[in-house]
Amino acid sequence: MDVAEIISHHILDHDWGVTLAGFRVPVTTHTVTLMAVSLVLLLGLYWISRRHQSRAGRLLTTLTEEYVSFIRDGVVLPNMGPEGRSFLPYFCTLFLFVLFCALAGLIPNMKTATANISVTAALALCSGGLILYCGLKFHGPIGFLKGFIPSGTPGWLVPLIFPLEIISMIIKVCVLAIRLFANMLSGHMVLICLLLIIFVVGQMHIAAGAGALLPAMGLELFMTCLEILVAFLQAYVFTLLTSIFAGSVIHTH
Amino acid sequence: MEDLLKPDYGVLVLTVCNFLLLVYLLKKFAWDRIISGLEQREKQIADDKKQAQDARAAAENIKRELDEKLAQISDEAAKKMAEAVKMGETQKEQILSAAKEQSERLLEQAKAQIEAEKNKALSDVRGEIARTAVLAASKVVQQQMSEESAKSVVDRVLNEIKAK
Repeated sequence: MDVAEIISHHILDHDWGVTLAGFRVPVTTHTVTLMAVSLVLLLGLYWISRRHQSRAGRLLTTLTEEYVSFIRDGVVLPNMGPEGRSFLPYFCTLFLFVLFCALAGLIPNMKTATANISVTAALALCSGGLILYCGLKFHGPIGFLKGFIPSGTPGWLVPLIFPLEIISMIIKVCVLAIRLFANMLSGHMVLICLLLIIFVVGQMHIAAGAGALLPAMGLELFMTCLEILVAFLQAYVFTLLTSIFAGSVIHTH
Repeated sequence: MEDLLKPDYGVLVLTVCNFLLLVYLLKKFAWDRIISGLEQREKQIADDKKQAQDARAAAENIKRELDEKLAQISDEAAKKMAEAVKMGETQKEQILSAAKEQSERLLEQAKAQIEAEKNKALSDVRGEIARTAVLAASKVVQQQMSEESAKSVVDRVLNEIKAK
């Protein structure tokens, strides 16, 4: 048994090989998970927004309103100011999307889409687009570019500082993608490795494999709980950092 | 394992489209309604809170006014009570002085009356004595003296009585 192959198989995306008129359609396990998560969010939130009078409906409505007020008062307004109010739907969606993608990986036969660099890069690209849009909307093209030069910078230092600031912003956005990808990937790698302990030890002796069952499952349970925590944490971090970066271009030096 | 870091541009584009479409649809069909509901509820809570604060302020104003009125009434009552006590004292003094005057007057009258009665009684006694004396004298005279000597004796007796 090649352990690396098993881990790769568990972590890597699998293309379903769908083509349309000779072109490849990217239908993979991760994109299917993404779409499933999107559908669940869409239907769930649409149902909640209808304000059903049942007990569950009222409970979910209250919960959702609390969630929205948390994102608004804890993430968007402190970092972006009142200007960020119009972007509230984006941040509410971003947090839930990242969270549900991470939690979906804990459901058997489903994958963690955010453990795919292409998915996290796409999310970071959207955040980068938002940052760019905020800069252009509130300061115009020239003002946005001027914002990259800190106030009080001597004239001769501007040619050096300006590209550095631009690169810094690009790196910040890239780091968003890498941070989320690395966190999700490492958690799932640890989970599969803990499960593999049983089989690796079992190959040595069947009794040893049975003995390793309980400790490995205990660790697996612990790691799963940790993964749930990490899912919430990473969703919060991704949303928070996006709002901070967007706020930094709205309220320049 | 190196495939882990190899980007799949198809997945990337699909994810971007999927996410942006999700943001748009959720904004249109869910978030706008949820956010407006939340803001409405917050506004209602703020209005209720403001109303409660206004009502409390109004109640405090009424209480303050009532307290002021109560204090004013208490002052007036105390003032009137003091006036009544003062008036009572004055009336008491007047009644006492009037009673005293009246009693003194009555006493004077009684004294005068007693004096008059005394004088009258004395006069009566004198007359009675005179008559008795005359009677006695006449009896003596009838036996020993003439009418003229008897008369002089009587006059002398009478003068003596008057002198007393």
